[in-house]
Amino acid sequence: MKRLLVLVVALALLGLVLGGCGGKEEKKAENILKIGTLSPLTGPYAADGNDIRQGAEIAVEVFKAQGGIPGYSDIQVFPQDSACDPKQAVAAANKLINDKVSAVVGAYCSSSTIPASETLAEEKIIMLTPASTNPQVTERGLPYMFRTCGRDDHQGPAAVKFMTDVAGVKKIFIVDDKTTYSQGLADGVESAARAAGIEVLDHDHVNQGDKDYSAVLTKVKAAGPDLLYISLQNSATGALMVIQAKRMGIDAILMGQDAVYHPQLMEIAKGDAEGMFLTFGAIDKNATAFKDFQAKWKEKTGKEPGAYSAYSFDSATAYLNAVKAAGTTDPAKVREQLMKLKFTGASKDISYDEKGDSGSNYTVYQVKDGAFVPYWNSLTGQKY
Amino acid sequence: MEFFIQQLINGITLGGVYALIALGYTMVYGIIQLINFAHGEFFAAGGYMGVILISYLSAQGLHPYACLAISLVLAMGYCALLAMAVEQLAYKPLRQASRLAALLSALGMSIFLQNGLMLTQGVYDKAYPTEITSGGLSWGLVSVSYMQMFIVALTAGLLLGLNLLVFKTRIGRAMRATAQDKVMSALVGINSNRIIAITFAIGAALAAAAGIMVGLYYGSVNYSMGFVPGIKAFAAAVLGGIGNITGALVGGLIIGMVEVFAAGYVSGEYKDVFAFVILIAVLYFKPTGIMGENVDDTRV
Repeated sequence: MKRLLVLVVALALLGLVLGGCGGKEEKKAENILKIGTLSPLTGPYAADGNDIRQGAEIAVEVFKAQGGIPGYSDIQVFPQDSACDPKQAVAAANKLINDKVSAVVGAYCSSSTIPASETLAEEKIIMLTPASTNPQVTERGLPYMFRTCGRDDHQGPAAVKFMTDVAGVKKIFIVDDKTTYSQGLADGVESAARAAGIEVLDHDHVNQGDKDYSAVLTKVKAAGPDLLYISLQNSATGALMVIQAKRMGIDAILMGQDAVYHPQLMEIAKGDAEGMFLTFGAIDKNATAFKDFQAKWKEKTGKEPGAYSAYSFDSATAYLNAVKAAGTTDPAKVREQLMKLKFTGASKDISYDEKGDSGSNYTVYQVKDGAFVPYWNSLTGQKY
Repeated sequence: MEFFIQQLINGITLGGVYALIALGYTMVYGIIQLINFAHGEFFAAGGYMGVILISYLSAQGLHPYACLAISLVLAMGYCALLAMAVEQLAYKPLRQASRLAALLSALGMSIFLQNGLMLTQGVYDKAYPTEITSGGLSWGLVSVSYMQMFIVALTAGLLLGLNLLVFKTRIGRAMRATAQDKVMSALVGINSNRIIAITFAIGAALAAAAGIMVGLYYGSVNYSMGFVPGIKAFAAAVLGGIGNITGALVGGLIIGMVEVFAAGYVSGEYKDVFAFVILIAVLYFKPTGIMGENVDDTRV
């Protein structure tokens, strides 16, 4: 009985202390705008994941330097690691809810974005993904889900259009690594290719975490396609596949997608990546908006921006602008402002439609002298 | 037929890498019945040490092959020291504790080392200078890169060396004696703590060699690279009969082959399924593995 009493008193004291702290934090939090980021900071996708975190941080820094938002004393970024794992992404989303963020930039892998967005939607937290291209992300009627990048049901057909109209290929071989994103896109390419009259010799799969693709590539070599479509979740594994394909003497055209599009591809594959084609959203690297961003990024990180750096920067900027216009973080009002928003971002001109999409502008890039060079625009059908 | 031969070559290369890693698991298990889960991390550390050394040495203007040879020796030495430190720190204090405690300590060490690599070397893949080993021979569909030949030759050489060490030297005899009976071998004057440390060192040096070969062959290393091959190599060690050196080689080659042929003839997505189905099937009929785990002559 005595023990029980002690326990109750102890718990009550603990409750008081915690309650006291919580109360204080509440007061302080009133005028701090909190933004979460959700991306794989560890694991094989950490390269893109850290780009997303830094993109949002730099956006906040730039916004603060321009005077911030009236009524808010500070803007803070809360990075969380989704590890490209659906379970961890949901846990991280819950952590962000506890941190009382009003918006989340992320996630990276579509397989993380989809479950995390369901969790965030329950609390009416706005989510802006800079990188998840699976169509389902914005097809579920979630009012607070926005997407700054393109969609795979545009990316796949754009790639196939390039195959028929520009490259003139007849037979293709498709390899993916079985994630919601990579397989979804590869399936889209397969059906679009069949519809366009291209023969799909085979559609094979590899496992995430593999380094050895010799078995599958031997199959590719035996099948003799005109083009090998590589849909992997990660640029580093993409580079490994490219190296092994070249070493095996596969002379088919190599084509990749937006997840393989990262400076890491050339860093690892070096000369073997030369001539490879990739689909990625068109970013005008000569536009002032991009150049300003690039300078800021280099100053902060000492590196060139990664594939999704600019999209993450724009996602955070879009949200901050909307909050500034709405004068509140009330999700319904911020959503209204986001829908009205039109601005020239570092990645592209941004305006969100009813579903939360911002349109796709896929361009085919070619690796030339260790850099991605725009080659063909899918919207105009013109070569650069 | 050409397709088959090419897949066979692919399988032998992959199997050789698994075998080298599996040896470390098997030797440590043989001597102190501990599954050293941190072993995959020695493999990753070796890969990193290799790229750091090769880049540094080639910047000094050394001949590529000289760079490679020196880096290989130094990285193997580094991982041997690392393994001895890990043994001293995480396993030796638990020598008298239950096996479960040592196992947990091994798991903890694995997480510690992997995150240590991540924090010191970064999350990005590190590229190997692949120019050193490009090129190869080819006949029609069949092609063998110089790197594949190098991997097979080095694996064979290291295995031969290991066999000589275990069966022809005083240290090897002491290792076998310690594996059979620690108390008795201590009574005849063998310092079992030293022998255990040496066993760890040899296993880690072999893993480091595998790490460098994987880096060179595939083109890059990253901090989490030890996990998947570690699991596969562990499976290979169990398949061959854990504690048995020849078993590790046989197990490694079988896992490598099964993976490659499953990917080649069925589909890449099922290759791990096949590899583990074989493992389960073998263990069902022969729980001690193919070569058996209690063959005293070959057990370290």
